[in-house]
Amino acid sequence: MAEADSMNAAAPAALSDAQAGQTVLRLNDIELGFGGVKAINKVSFEVRKGEILAIIGPNGAGKSSMLNVINGFYKPQKGSIEFRGETRRAMDPNHAAKHGIARTFQNIALFKGMSTLDNLMTGRLLKMKRNIFWQALYWGPAQKEELEHREAVEKIIDFLEIQAIRRTPVGKLPYGLQKRVELGRALAMEPDILLLDEPMAGMNVEEKEDMCRFVLEVNQEFGTTIVLIEHDMGVVMDISDRVVVLDYGVKIADGTPDQVRANQRVIDAYLGVSH
Amino acid sequence: MIYREAGQFKTSYAADQAIFPIRLDRIGIAVCLAIAYLAVPAVANDYWLLSILVPFLVFSLAAIGLNILTGYAGQLSLGTGGFMACGAFAAYKLATSFPDLHIIIVFLLSGGVAAAVGVLFGLPSLRIKGFYLAVATLAAQFFLIWMFNKFGWFNNYSPSGVISAPPMHLYGDVYLTGPQSAPVNKYLFLLTFVALMALLAKNLTRCKIGRSWMAIRDMDIAAEIIGIKPLVAKLSAFAVSSFFIGVAGAMWAFVYTGSVEALAFDINRSFQVLFMIIIGGLGSILGSFLGAGFIVLLPIFLNNVPGLIGWHIPVDMIAHLEFMIFGALIIFFLIVEPHGLARLWTLAKEKLRLWPFPY
Repeated sequence: MAEADSMNAAAPAALSDAQAGQTVLRLNDIELGFGGVKAINKVSFEVRKGEILAIIGPNGAGKSSMLNVINGFYKPQKGSIEFRGETRRAMDPNHAAKHGIARTFQNIALFKGMSTLDNLMTGRLLKMKRNIFWQALYWGPAQKEELEHREAVEKIIDFLEIQAIRRTPVGKLPYGLQKRVELGRALAMEPDILLLDEPMAGMNVEEKEDMCRFVLEVNQEFGTTIVLIEHDMGVVMDISDRVVVLDYGVKIADGTPDQVRANQRVIDAYLGVSH
Repeated sequence: MIYREAGQFKTSYAADQAIFPIRLDRIGIAVCLAIAYLAVPAVANDYWLLSILVPFLVFSLAAIGLNILTGYAGQLSLGTGGFMACGAFAAYKLATSFPDLHIIIVFLLSGGVAAAVGVLFGLPSLRIKGFYLAVATLAAQFFLIWMFNKFGWFNNYSPSGVISAPPMHLYGDVYLTGPQSAPVNKYLFLLTFVALMALLAKNLTRCKIGRSWMAIRDMDIAAEIIGIKPLVAKLSAFAVSSFFIGVAGAMWAFVYTGSVEALAFDINRSFQVLFMIIIGGLGSILGSFLGAGFIVLLPIFLNNVPGLIGWHIPVDMIAHLEFMIFGALIIFFLIVEPHGLARLWTLAKEKLRLWPFPY
C-alpha cells in the first residue's frame, strides 16, 4: 500500500470512527419538473460522512437529475438542501466545486483535446492561486505552484494505474480508460463528496472489478463520501453501505442493501406487478 | 533513429514540464534562433527584410493572438482585422499625443486598448457559440473599421484618413519608424519582441489559464462542474487574444508599412489570419508561425518559381492561381488535417522516433 500511503499527504486523512456517520448533506422534499414532467417528486434523503451511498432505480427514475441537483446543475423548484450546516434553496456548480463536491458523468465529459495529465491538472484549477502575469512568466512562484500540483496529480496517476497514458489525448483512449481518467479528474479536486454517475456502465467484468477497487480504496483510504448511481445490482449490493431507490421520481426505499433487497416495492418496481 | 527521446531521463517534474523536453528540439530551436539573429541580418537584403520577414513576424504575432481565442479557447472570431486596427489607431493616438513615450510602451498600451475593446466585443460569447458568435465578431469588425473611418479624431483629422507613424527610436539613433529607420533594426526589434511574446503565450497556454481555456473549448459543462467560471475564461481569452492582435496591428502600422488607413484592416485581413491558424494548426503556438510563414511565402513562391523553371504565366493569372491554391489548401486542411502543419510536424516527429523501423 505504498502508493496509498503516499497519497495521504494530498488527501484528507482517513476518518476516525467518531466522525463517520454524521450527515454531511441532506435533501429535503426536492421537487424538480421539466415542463409537465415531474422528474423528482418530494424526495428526501441524507448522505452521511464516509459512506458509500448508491442511488438505484429503473431508467428515467430521476437518478441523474438527483446528482445534478446535488451539484447545482439543476435548480429544484421546491425543497431545500442542507450542506455543511447551511440550508439553501439550490446549489451552484461553482460553490459546489469550491466546497468539495466533485462528480463524473454518465456520458464521459472529459476534455477530449487535452492529454490525461492536463485533464487531471484541470481538477486542480481551483487550488491554483497565481495570477495571469505570474503564469505568463512561468517562473518562480508560478512554476513552483505548477510543480506542486503536478506532483499531486502524479500520485493520482499512480493510484489509478494510468501512468502509460499520461501524455495521450483522452479522445484517443478506449472507453474504460476514459472512465478511469474522469474519476482521476474528480479525485484531483480532493473532494469530500464524490458523485459518480454510472461509473461502471459499459465495462467488462475485469474493468468493473478495477473500478470497484478504486471506489472502495478512495472511500477507505481518504474517507471520501461517495454517492453513486449504478445499474449493476451485484456491484451495488457488494460495495454500498446504504441504498436509495427511486422510481418515477419518487423515493420508494432507503436502507442497507439487505433491507432494500427484501423490500416488496423495490421488487415490484424492478420486476413489475401483476394487476 | 535520428530523433531520439529514449535515454533522456528526467529526474524532476521541472525538467519534464519544460517547453522543449527533448534535447534535439532544444538544439533545433537554438539553431533557428542563431540563424534568425546572426545569419539572416548578414545575408538578407532590404527586400527580404521589409517585404517578407517583417510581415511574417507581424502576422505570426496576430496569428498567435487569434490562436489563443479560436484554437485554445474555441471561440471563433472574424474580428481580427478590427482588433488590429484598434491597436494601430491606439498606437497612433498615443504616439502623437505623447511624443515622449517609448515605442515599446506605446505598443504595450495599444495592446491594452485592443484588449479592452476585445473584452467588450467578447461579451456576446457568454450567450452564443460557434457560427453565431462568428457573426457577432463580424459586427465588431465592420463597426470598428467604420468608426475609424468616420471620426476624424482617430486619424488627427487627416484628409485622406491615413495615419503615418512619427519617427520613433528604440534608443540613441536606432530608429524603428520614419525615414531614418534601417530595415535590419526593424527586423531585429520585431524578432525579439515577437519571440518574447510567443514565449509568454506558450507559458499561458501550458498554465492554469490555458487549461481553463481548453476546458471551455472541449466541454463547457464539465468545465463549470470543476469550478471554471465561463465568464472569466472566455473574457480572459478575448482580452489576451486582443492584446496580442492589437500589438500586431500597432506593429503593422508603425514598423511594417509606416503609414496605413483603416481599410488595410478590413475583413480580408481577418480571413487571412484565420487561414493562417487553420493551415498552421489550431491550438498550437508553433502552428501560428508555420501558418504565417506559409501564407506570406506562398505568393512569393508562386511569383518566382514558374519564371525560374521557364514557365511564363501572366501576372493576372498568378493572382488568380494564388486564390485557387489558397482555397484548395484550406479545404484540404479542413478535411485531411484540421490541426494543420503543426500536427504534420508532430506526426513526422513520431515517425522519426522509430525510424528506420516501421513500429
